[in-house]
Amino acid sequence: MGTIRQHLRVAAFLSASLSAVALLPGAAAAEGNTVVIARSFDFNSLDPARAFCDTCQIYLSNAYESLIGLGTDNKTLEPRLATKWTGNADQSQFTFTLDPDAKFSDGSPVEAKDVKWSFERLQNLKGGAAFMMDGVTKIDTPDATTVVVTLAGPNSEFLNILSAPYTAVVNSDVAAANGAAAGADAETADKAEEWFLANSAGSGAYQLVSYKADDEMRLKANQEYKRSKLSVTDVVFKHTKDAVTQAQLLESGGVDIAMQIDPDTAKTMNTDNLTVETIPSYNFLYVALAPGAKGAPKLTKEVREAISLALDYDGIIDFTVGGAGTKVSSPIPTGFPGTEGLAAPQQNLDKAKELMAKAGVADGFEINSEFPNMNAYGVDLSLLSQKIQQDLAKINIKMNLTPLEFSVWRDHVRGDGIPLTTSFYAPDYYGSAQYVQFFGMIEGQPWWNRAGGKNDASITNPETAELLKKALAATEADKPGVYKEIAESMMSDHIIIPVVSPNLVLAHSKKVTGVRYSACCNLLLNEIGVQ
Amino acid sequence: MTRFIIRRLISIPLLLLGIVSIAFLISHNTQGDPLASIVSERQMDNPEVVAAAKARWGLDKSLPEQYVLYLRNLITGDLGTSFRTKQGVGKDILERLPATLELVIAAMILGVGSGIVLGVLAARFRNKPIDHAARLWALTGSSTPVFWSGLILLYIFSVVLGWLPGPGRLDPRSVPPEFMTGFLTIDTLLAGDFAAFGDALHHLILPALVLGWTVMGIVSRLVRGSMLDVLSQDYIVAARARGAGELRVLLNHALRNALVPTLTIIGFTFAYLITGAVLTETIFSWPGIGSYAVEAARNLDYPAIIGVTIVGGTAFLLSNLATDIAYAFADPRIRLS
Repeated sequence: MGTIRQHLRVAAFLSASLSAVALLPGAAAAEGNTVVIARSFDFNSLDPARAFCDTCQIYLSNAYESLIGLGTDNKTLEPRLATKWTGNADQSQFTFTLDPDAKFSDGSPVEAKDVKWSFERLQNLKGGAAFMMDGVTKIDTPDATTVVVTLAGPNSEFLNILSAPYTAVVNSDVAAANGAAAGADAETADKAEEWFLANSAGSGAYQLVSYKADDEMRLKANQEYKRSKLSVTDVVFKHTKDAVTQAQLLESGGVDIAMQIDPDTAKTMNTDNLTVETIPSYNFLYVALAPGAKGAPKLTKEVREAISLALDYDGIIDFTVGGAGTKVSSPIPTGFPGTEGLAAPQQNLDKAKELMAKAGVADGFEINSEFPNMNAYGVDLSLLSQKIQQDLAKINIKMNLTPLEFSVWRDHVRGDGIPLTTSFYAPDYYGSAQYVQFFGMIEGQPWWNRAGGKNDASITNPETAELLKKALAATEADKPGVYKEIAESMMSDHIIIPVVSPNLVLAHSKKVTGVRYSACCNLLLNEIGVQ
Repeated sequence: MTRFIIRRLISIPLLLLGIVSIAFLISHNTQGDPLASIVSERQMDNPEVVAAAKARWGLDKSLPEQYVLYLRNLITGDLGTSFRTKQGVGKDILERLPATLELVIAAMILGVGSGIVLGVLAARFRNKPIDHAARLWALTGSSTPVFWSGLILLYIFSVVLGWLPGPGRLDPRSVPPEFMTGFLTIDTLLAGDFAAFGDALHHLILPALVLGWTVMGIVSRLVRGSMLDVLSQDYIVAARARGAGELRVLLNHALRNALVPTLTIIGFTFAYLITGAVLTETIFSWPGIGSYAVEAARNLDYPAIIGVTIVGGTAFLLSNLATDIAYAFADPRIRLS
């Protein structure tokens, strides 16, 4: 047994070694103020002309600049690279005067040719946000600080579009030298996407140091940036997929900001050294009906309205986000132009049953519901679908739920269509036209296609199309009124039924200041400070 | 034995060709939209954009054309470009594989080492309290979901006690060492940065413990079962009758024979964990090959799916070979031919 004692000693030595490892010094920190941010990466690219995702918005708005910015009220347009702008009477031509002091991170000035090149590249590469340049027919650069953009027709929202980080202005000389192309053949000639994974070429507050997909992205302060004083020298984004892990990292001091903690997790956090704030967002989740989908039951307007009235909106908010959310009246989220005064949706089972009876389906029907098996903005789409299933059972509609991987869901929704699905949307910029162009029952638009407009012409709403034209030609003062008409028109379709706008949790260490939600850009690093 | 090893090594490329072909066919015939990570949802109904994306990524070609093109590139070592990360799959794998290997090797050392010790003790003290305790510990390890044990251990040791760091491989506030091997514990030492080495070790402890606990559960139960079989054999009785010490009987006579069936499981588990440690990688934000594989599958990222399949296939083939060689060392009666 003496030998066993020796082995126990070995075991004790090993335990002591492990403990000693725990006492080893930590790694040397980088010099200056470093802020670490936990976020689940959804990057599809770091190339400004190809990127299109929530995390892309953050990267692009901090490493690059647009002509126009969005104020802290999330509504007012402010000068950025353009110090001033004017539009012609019918809003089909806009002239921008560039800031003569603006410089790219390599010290070269931001010139009109860079703006023209960046916009043309965005348009010709046909990447994720190319639609933002729809209607642009000509870009003139009479001198180094003047850009004139001509559109095919009036677009009162063009200035709002230019506040989106996707319209970032790129250092054309540097990018072109590294394989980027902006001409008509850009979609085949451009070879710069991989270069953009390791380099930035913008005039934003920060510049890219390194990026490792699924791991981390490092930024450092751009020494040429003069728009505001930067108090943070280095920013590290850590890919942290899970909300609970993000919360633990924040609590343990491993990160300074956690971006995707859901309201339920936020309630469980120890907030002694943290600021945890829950604020309304413009993101929302919706139910989408597709009368023209293969295998869909007869989803007449009455039936669609019955479905919208059968939903327990308050219950959905409680069930999915523990009450930390708000109702959304129309497919244009509350707070955007045209939504003031719209009535919040309410459950009305009696009226829903009456409408079902009127439509001849009082005994109900079965409907297939496929949805992406994921969590969007803190809402588990499985939970949401189960709640909707419970609600619709009250008017005798039996929902057959099928969760799908997002790629499979996309295939189905674009193919034969899905009779009833749930999905989500976050704004690309502050402006209402994007919602009409995406959700409106206008021939050829995304959700018209997905709802089966080609198979069921009755869902086409010509009024929405006409109103959109009117809105795009409207003055700033008239826009809210026209968009309100559009919102009501879209609500009457009962194709897109918004169910919840989940609140956003801003969680950060108390030593970090200036963290706020930006409708265009999510998180603006130049506003962040460290105490 | 050398001829055996050479023959097996030569057969690996042929087997991999079969694996690649099957993976290619299955992935390309799976329902889903491979453009999910290429074309944004806003643009997916724009036929011009969809056509441009298909042409750029070669998805406009017929399946046989895509297959031939893939094989032609593969021969030159080009695994294609990931639809999702937009960089070479070879580069993606080289960045992630060392992280996974570092974690899996640490977990295997902890899991196999403690599993063998526990298994031997449980068999030696069969039906005694030490046996019951070892079996309970092993059962808990092999049946506890790693996402649960990971989160609980993180909460206790990182959040409450603050003894160990949170997820990740290194403190994000520190400057990572230059990429040499990709093993942070080695790269930090090569760079002479002992503080970073300590930090890398700190970060390795919890994920390796969590993953190693599962391995330990499997190994200790197997070792216990094999040891009980072996301990009832005549040659053990004979060894004891000759007056051999208990430790010598256990380690030299019993364990060496009991380990033979366990080696297969150790080899299999190692190969499995190369691509299967995804939950541990997710909880601990460990940028490894497991989570890369899952994201590739979820996004129908064909080049990445096939690239990971090649890695997984190679891991299984090599671990099988290593197991066969280990057999020969563990039991001299086994002759490889």
